[in-house]
Amino acid sequence: MTSLKRTYASTAPSTTLSSKTYLRTLKSGKVQKIVREVYLRQDIACSSQLCTACLNLVPASFHKKADAPVLSATPAATKAFPNGHYLIPDTNAFLSAMDLFESEGTVQDIIVLQTVLEEVKNRSLPLYHRLIALTKNEGKRFYVFFNDFRLETYIQRDAGETINDRNDRAVRKSCTWYAEHLQQAVRSRKSARCPTIVMLSDDRANLRKAKDEGIQALGLEAYVAGLPDADKLMDMVASSRENRAVKDSKAQMLYPNYMTMSAMLTGVKAGTLHQGIFHVSPYNYLEGSVHVPAFDKALIVQGRENSNRAVSGDIVVIEVLPKDQWKAPSSKVIEEEDVNRNDNAENGDDEQEAVVTEKERRALQDAVKKVHGRSAEGQPQATARIVGVIKRNWRQYVGHIDKDSVRSQAKETRSQQTVFLIPMDKRVPKIRVRTRQAADLLGKRVLVTIDSWDRESRYPVGHFIRSLGELETKGAETEALLLEWDVQYRPFPKTVLDCLPAEGHSWTVPASLDDPGWNGRKDLRDLLVCSIDPPGCVDIDDALHARPLPNGNFEVGVHIADVSHFVKPNNAMDKEASLRGTTVYLVDKRIDMLPMLLGTDLCSLKPYVERYAFSVLWELDTSANIVHTTFTKSVIRSREAFSYERAQLRIDDKSQQDELTVGMRTLMQLSKKLRAKRMAAGALNLASPEVRVEMESETSDPADVKTKQLLDTNQLVEEFMLLANISVAAKNYEAFPQTALLRRHAAPPKNNFEELSNQLKVRKSMDLHTDSSKALADSLDHCIDPQEPFFNTLIRILATRCMMSAEYFCAGAQAYPEYRHYGLASEIYTHFTSPIRRYSDLEAHRQLAAAIDYEPLDASLQSKAKSEAVCKNLNVRHRNAQMAGRASVEYYVGQALKGRRLEEEGFVMRIFSNGFVVFVPKFGIEGLIRLRDMVVGQEQAGREPESVYDGESYTLEIEEQGRKRTVALFEKVQVRISDEAEESTGKRKIRLQLV
Amino acid sequence: MPPFTNIPLSPAELSYLHTSLSQTPPLRPDGRSPTDFRPLVAETDILPSANGSARICFADGTEAVVGVKAEVERSLGLGVEAGDGDVDMDEEDGGGVGLGERGKKSRGRGEWLEVAIEIPGVRDDDALPVFLSAMLSEALLADGGLKERLWINARFHWRLYVDVFLLSSPLSYPLPLLSLTTHLALLSTRLPALISEKDEDPLFNDDWEASLYLYPRASEPAAQTLKPPFTLLVMSVGENIIFDPSREELSVAESVLAISASPSTSISNSNNNNTLNMVALRTIDPPSRLTGSAVPNSITAGGPSLTSAEILALREKDQGQSVWRPPRGGIPRALVSKMIKMVVEKGGVGEEVLAALAGVGT
Repeated sequence: MTSLKRTYASTAPSTTLSSKTYLRTLKSGKVQKIVREVYLRQDIACSSQLCTACLNLVPASFHKKADAPVLSATPAATKAFPNGHYLIPDTNAFLSAMDLFESEGTVQDIIVLQTVLEEVKNRSLPLYHRLIALTKNEGKRFYVFFNDFRLETYIQRDAGETINDRNDRAVRKSCTWYAEHLQQAVRSRKSARCPTIVMLSDDRANLRKAKDEGIQALGLEAYVAGLPDADKLMDMVASSRENRAVKDSKAQMLYPNYMTMSAMLTGVKAGTLHQGIFHVSPYNYLEGSVHVPAFDKALIVQGRENSNRAVSGDIVVIEVLPKDQWKAPSSKVIEEEDVNRNDNAENGDDEQEAVVTEKERRALQDAVKKVHGRSAEGQPQATARIVGVIKRNWRQYVGHIDKDSVRSQAKETRSQQTVFLIPMDKRVPKIRVRTRQAADLLGKRVLVTIDSWDRESRYPVGHFIRSLGELETKGAETEALLLEWDVQYRPFPKTVLDCLPAEGHSWTVPASLDDPGWNGRKDLRDLLVCSIDPPGCVDIDDALHARPLPNGNFEVGVHIADVSHFVKPNNAMDKEASLRGTTVYLVDKRIDMLPMLLGTDLCSLKPYVERYAFSVLWELDTSANIVHTTFTKSVIRSREAFSYERAQLRIDDKSQQDELTVGMRTLMQLSKKLRAKRMAAGALNLASPEVRVEMESETSDPADVKTKQLLDTNQLVEEFMLLANISVAAKNYEAFPQTALLRRHAAPPKNNFEELSNQLKVRKSMDLHTDSSKALADSLDHCIDPQEPFFNTLIRILATRCMMSAEYFCAGAQAYPEYRHYGLASEIYTHFTSPIRRYSDLEAHRQLAAAIDYEPLDASLQSKAKSEAVCKNLNVRHRNAQMAGRASVEYYVGQALKGRRLEEEGFVMRIFSNGFVVFVPKFGIEGLIRLRDMVVGQEQAGREPESVYDGESYTLEIEEQGRKRTVALFEKVQVRISDEAEESTGKRKIRLQLV
Repeated sequence: MPPFTNIPLSPAELSYLHTSLSQTPPLRPDGRSPTDFRPLVAETDILPSANGSARICFADGTEAVVGVKAEVERSLGLGVEAGDGDVDMDEEDGGGVGLGERGKKSRGRGEWLEVAIEIPGVRDDDALPVFLSAMLSEALLADGGLKERLWINARFHWRLYVDVFLLSSPLSYPLPLLSLTTHLALLSTRLPALISEKDEDPLFNDDWEASLYLYPRASEPAAQTLKPPFTLLVMSVGENIIFDPSREELSVAESVLAISASPSTSISNSNNNNTLNMVALRTIDPPSRLTGSAVPNSITAGGPSLTSAEILALREKDQGQSVWRPPRGGIPRALVSKMIKMVVEKGGVGEEVLAALAGVGT
């Protein structure tokens, strides 16, 4: 009988078939045995420029030219390896020292083995993506060698061998092969210098075995020590597990253990545990909240022990605590720096750390005691404790070194010490960092990452990545906030720039109408189009026109830059843009989504030149009702680019009677009618504290801060953009009911307004109706304090904060009634009008182009799953861009007020038992005034004045040196504004004081 | 005319066969001794993506492949899952204790094992495959050890699909072939190693090398080596007991027994000298009963003319002495116990079979 069995065991050295067997657990809980056949080949190149043999192996790519070998013929030499060396790191090396590999100009010529790459992928997806990015970076010369597909380097797992051991062996095998292979190559070239193959590992057993097999192998630290600038580089390596393991044995466990993953999943499925994202309160670092679908209100997580090593942003699993442990959210401001000032970073063996310091416990208890037994705001809420973390959302954190934690500040001491890094984000705990350059880093903005948070350490342990520069310098602070908000600010890579039109700035709309560029385009060059934008705007997305029609109606056109003509789906530029998601506007800087050439020239609807556009043309009757809508690709020539102010002046100037101005006046009239209709439908007029920083033109130092002025022309543009967006949304939805990219604004849950409406009732006896957006809009209009015109704006600011944030979504993901945009009171909405600076608009353009049969829709836009992923990213990017913009304004406001002392009026926005938040409308800043700061006299600093907090009536009675004074919510107060460099975040912050 | 029995033998040939098998020792047509098995070729692990598999070829050309697949399944009405409402909880708890105690004996359930047999040219609801699969699963479940091992936790269990394919048409009664192949397949069956604890949703080690044998091997640190049961076909002719009967032998069998045995697990059995336990026994209607009887020469044409009653009497009187007559009646009890003993006794046929199967390399 012939055997039916297919034997995979490598029977002969030339057997090219092998297999790999593993188990896969499906989401449904089913377990599959997977058998993959592996076909081994001998034509996988070593990719060294020294090797001529492999050069012929490389298959030619699309353009019939083979990929050039990656690894240099003359790799860098070190003392230990005078002939130069190629590095082969193992998985652990990448896991613990990714920052080292990423840092510029340190290590090059690295062979990334497939085995290692796959292992990295299994262990940490973010690190895997970073590694992939490195392999694409040409300057770094990283080469991925598919050792598990190459016959000579493939190894079969031995009986009883663990996967780890097998992989380690595979790495060693590849090292051996590379060494031999290079020897041969060098011999055939008859050159003398043969680079050494160096295996990099943190695993002692692996290193020992490598030595036995005659492979050059080094531990991470030993290798880094041999590099120039070793001190700096050493900090980038996470302290190895061995170091930590030593500590494990004696250290006392401070935190409860996490549940096993399977136990958590079972609990979540069964409903006994809940999963959600952990958010730390910005006012109280000891209190966090987790919103889970099972409860209306977020669950509160109080104290270090309950938050059990979770960092803000982590996806955690929580267990609800018994009812007798339910607490009211604390009404006290607790900042980490105040409580744990004198912690010892070194984590000495003599000193036992407690998870919860006595001080922390007291601070929390006070907070709870004060509100106990009161109703309304002080009602106990469900509390929970964290039993495990599903996914860490650790990123890189910007911060500065706590100078108290540095032992010796002398520059010359190079001894390693552990210091605390205080992150800029107050919600993130201090991070313990081991460094040899503590003295150098003092007073600098530094970037660190968290490596681990073990049970025996009160704070997470991380490592230093790089320094951004001196605190408070513009460059460092700007980079810091870009990093904090994860804004991609690096220059566009070459692959992206390659996608730009070859003509560059000299590109023009083709003169001949037969050119393919004119296919399907309407010639609208004779329309009197103009654009209205903020002053100094160079990326002009939109332009408008209006003209009367013979039947008494008007033709109105909104013309949007035709970005989708230049950015084709799925090329490198499109991918980069979709990752960036949006252009980020900082006070003095713009981080573009698209390369400058497109954004500010070829796409931008600059005046006096012909440009491609995507036009929405309406026929509107005299009361601004839509009679007819057309969408078309077009060519336009803008007659003028106005700033809001200039447009306003032109419209108001009665002497101007030319056609363009008349058209603008028509637009103005129609926009007012549109606005009135929208308001009647219940659109909200919301407010956010917007200020503008005026710069000195020469030095670009901030000179003054002004609140933004809103002109009628702002509203003119806004109205027509809204109209265009709504029209396009309806069209796209009609064409693609499953995949249209839309934007929705969910109605806020009722209890979001609970607190605000209660505060209004108690303080001002006003009612806030929140049944619908219309009711809210009306009741907001009634919240007027005759003495205080700003009061209404304040309430609007607060109301805005109670709302949900608008989000992009893909039509198939929601039911039609959920499409509603609450704030705009529109049934359906999308973003269409700013494709230069928002990726969502670009997608909407593509969909609209397909909807009007201009061009077929790309497959990526037809897949619901892909669209959803894009939406998810856009939502995050959009939010981050806003935050970064705000942070930038905040920084510059601080700079503008530097050294000044002003007295301004402010309003009490929020009240705590040991302080209150004041909003200063003039500068759009809000600041916390703590009771502690109100103490008069130096000698008593740190003491809090006597106070009585009444959470019911939102008042705080303060008695200081015999003077009594009551601070109430919404009250107008005079504050003294000065600035100080805040110690906790190292930011220059506005300091407010009650006058 | 005799009914069609799929036996292409004439009464004379049958009579010859019967006579030679009745000798002491019996003379088998292929010259085997009564306890000899026909040579067979076997291999295991032939289906890469199944949990376990085996293939056996008999020398007569019959061939079978068995694949074993295991799937995680939620147990219904057991343990935690049952208590949905708050009110029921107490009752469940009360009942739970009893269940737990009973559960000590057997937490597994018979329906977790599914045996499906496919025979070419035979519908799957035909009596033959249904009967065969019933016999196989009966034997597999008889010792209780298997279903116990299918228990993962109070909420989940393995469902074991044993798919038996007969690749050739059934030349002889296919039970022993199928049983032995199933035995081998189960021996090679591995289940993913559980890494979750207690009653959590099961989570398994994704390393196939770490998976555990359904029937732990001797090398593994299990308390004892466990083996799946196997079923042998034993026939008798007169006082002779013949193992592994060929198709021709079956056509003259006076009785046929399917004896399922499994290695004894309990210590209490160690005092008697059986290493095997009989776990199931079925009598099988021998095909010889369906053969037509021959007519003695004395009453064929040309002889004295007789009435039909006389002819009947004469044929009864002959009792199969001179010509072939299908066997009648049951099996003597003594013979049954002798057959069983031959299978299960120490150094008996069963042990020999086990040893031979254990030698099949994976």
